[in-house]
Amino acid sequence: MERRREALVGLVVMLGVAVGVVGTIWLQGGLRRDMRELRAASQNVGQLVAGAAVKFRGVSVGHVDAVNVAPDGEAVLVHLSVEPDLVLPADAAVLLAPESMFGDWQAEILSRADFELFSFLDYPEEGVLPAAALPDFSRLTATADQIARRLTTISERFEVAFTEETALNLKNAIDNIGAVSDGLSEIITQQAARFEDLSEGVNASAAELGAAARQARLSFERVDSIIANTQVEGMLGDAGVTMSNLRELTESMNASLGDLRSAAQRADTTFARLDELLAAVESGDGSLGRLLGDPTLAEGAAEAVQELRALLVDIQENPRRYLSFSIF
Amino acid sequence: MTNWLLGAFAFVGNRTVSGLQGMGRAWGLFLGATASIRNVDVWLPHLLPQMARVGVASVPIALFIATFTGIVMSLQASYTLTGAIPVYFVGTLVGKTMILELGPVLTALTLAGRVGANISAELGTMRVTEQVDALETLAYDPLAYLVVPRVFAAVFMFPIVVLLAIGIGIASGWFTALQLLDMSSPEFVKGLRLFFEPWDVWFAVIKSVSFGAVVTGVGCYFGLQTERGAEGVGRSATRTVVVASMLILCLDAFWATVLL
Amino acid sequence: MSIYLTEVHKAFGPKEVLKGFSMSIEDGETAAIVGPSGIGKSVLLKHVVGLLRPDAGSVVVDGVSVPELDRKGLDRLRRRIGYVFQFAALFDSMSIAENVGMGLRRIPGWDRRRIEDRVEDCLALVELAGMGDRYPAELSGGQRKRAGLARAIAPEPKFLLYDEPTTGLDPVTTSAIDRLILRMRDELGVTGLVVTHDMTSAFRVADRIALLHDGRARFSGTPAEVKAASDPVLKGFVEGDPDLYYRDGRRREGMHAGGQDHGA
Repeated sequence: MERRREALVGLVVMLGVAVGVVGTIWLQGGLRRDMRELRAASQNVGQLVAGAAVKFRGVSVGHVDAVNVAPDGEAVLVHLSVEPDLVLPADAAVLLAPESMFGDWQAEILSRADFELFSFLDYPEEGVLPAAALPDFSRLTATADQIARRLTTISERFEVAFTEETALNLKNAIDNIGAVSDGLSEIITQQAARFEDLSEGVNASAAELGAAARQARLSFERVDSIIANTQVEGMLGDAGVTMSNLRELTESMNASLGDLRSAAQRADTTFARLDELLAAVESGDGSLGRLLGDPTLAEGAAEAVQELRALLVDIQENPRRYLSFSIF
Repeated sequence: MTNWLLGAFAFVGNRTVSGLQGMGRAWGLFLGATASIRNVDVWLPHLLPQMARVGVASVPIALFIATFTGIVMSLQASYTLTGAIPVYFVGTLVGKTMILELGPVLTALTLAGRVGANISAELGTMRVTEQVDALETLAYDPLAYLVVPRVFAAVFMFPIVVLLAIGIGIASGWFTALQLLDMSSPEFVKGLRLFFEPWDVWFAVIKSVSFGAVVTGVGCYFGLQTERGAEGVGRSATRTVVVASMLILCLDAFWATVLL
Repeated sequence: MSIYLTEVHKAFGPKEVLKGFSMSIEDGETAAIVGPSGIGKSVLLKHVVGLLRPDAGSVVVDGVSVPELDRKGLDRLRRRIGYVFQFAALFDSMSIAENVGMGLRRIPGWDRRRIEDRVEDCLALVELAGMGDRYPAELSGGQRKRAGLARAIAPEPKFLLYDEPTTGLDPVTTSAIDRLILRMRDELGVTGLVVTHDMTSAFRVADRIALLHDGRARFSGTPAEVKAASDPVLKGFVEGDPDLYYRDGRRREGMHAGGQDHGA
């Protein structure tokens, strides 16, 4: 009896302490394992703070330990803790960039060769990785990149899901993309009017963006009737046209906006892929017949639109963040 | 009219005096019990049984309450956080409120009823049946024999019970988010971790220690004050629950201002 | 080994219970304090063990002034005093054997074996042998009283205080308890103080009897003196005559209309 009671009290106490200790450690984000220390030097760090995530190929592999100015005052040293068994690329560099639209930043480890356009800082000390913070303008790039990724997801979803409902959703989504791109071109036109220095290329691309959007909308205005007549092929054809238009647009953006290049490239691939997919569906090899009701497709599209919208709003509210490169 | 006024003043005066008397007696009990701590041989053998009674036996009710609190928190958080606020804030809300407030306070309020009233009734019965006097005549210090092990047991066990309650509350909130709110585990955990500070857990522990001392201390106080038989025992138990609950909420506010 | 109560005053709020009670109980003597219920007899007993402190007056037990003792001194004194409570005041959560052993566990140097033996002896003495494993709730009133007595005598006290030891018991059990009280005095040389309203019992066990009336010792003397006394209050109490006892008539109204007035 006495023994049993002792055991019970002991058990409850241990359970309670375990919940407290393990819970705390777990909520803190796991035990700090023997992490590998990395250092990186950058001209500035934007809004990166201690505790920010460290990503490698999109996977969270550690966190930022500390951010402080180098002794010589010429750089900022970022101390990173990463998983000990992480294999870094030979020309590893660190890109400091926003993690999400919420404004928290991350440090991404990447191969320098893939991102030549960023001005990584070479710090004259052994073992310090070159780092660069995304310049303000590059937020556009980063966001566009994210949108492109989202579109990739959408295009992947195409393979498994294409129903009338999703077609309709997609139509709406693309409609929205059209509206948004209209807005975008409008803004860019406004900006162009306001700031004469804005390159002609931007103007041209804005015009083309507008054209593409109009084209997209035109194509999809007919979707309702198309669906009613089950003339999916026709719609897909139109979609194909739209896609190629979009591709042209991105190509021209490519040409005109050097700094947007990498993002646009990715968007381009995305669109091209979408195009291919549509072509495949059209020719009957696709899985159109399956008509799976996968809502994530529409959701993905909607999210892409949302992000575009957010971008637009942000551009409207803080044009300098995106356009300062040519103005100031 | 004059009579009425006189009566009102007399009432206030009477209440003031008896309130001060009560505080004085409580202070006396506190000092006496503190002094009795050195009679380790008297209270130590009773610590474990009291830990079982105060702590272990309270685990089921505490967990029951925490489970439903977690579910409700989760549902209400998702109901409140619509539109612009990311859904993972459900996790943040459940975690923060469970750790900081609901875990310690709801558990303490429940145990004020369960443990406080129990102690009060037990000690009250011992008082009116002269068992407390009997202890004294057998050369036992009643404070060391009755009060110290109960208060210590609560001081040790309340944080344990509260930690378990917090754990279960968060788990049930999590489960609800998964099953009823179409959230994913990573989302919920992201929210949980978002504003988590280890200090929060310490805050909960400190609070529960003080709640444990208050619940058992008030129970012992009213128990030992009991007069006039069974009716007095009932009155003591009621008073214990009322006063302990009020003190818990006051302390809660006090810790929030001092520690946060 | 004696108890001296001198001019003891005690009030609870506005209610004065003791208004200068004096009495002395010599070594080896058993004294009885009699009086009706609720008059403050138990209060007197509690002064002797220091459960209560007098507002004025002195309580000297075994040569020490009880009200001046600190916790340690009180504990030392209490080890020499056994207190038999009116309703036994056994600890509900413990078996009878544990109850009886409670006081013994406080004595330094007593091991388990010795305590168990002593508990057995004490239970045998009060004719409860073999009942050690029972719980208070399982005993009858008389058995409980005897268990309470066993608990009081277990640490071999020099003084025994009995609070209404025979109240509510049948005549046979009453005389058995009385016999036990006498045995304590005769065999163990214990100084005893019995508080009772049972005059038969008081006459049986006491060497001296005092009547507590209106907060004072109205009368004090041997049983023979008590029987011979002419004091109306004492006579009224001994004979159980309310008219005599409440001779001032204050509490008589409505109880015995038209009764004889024995007042001065």
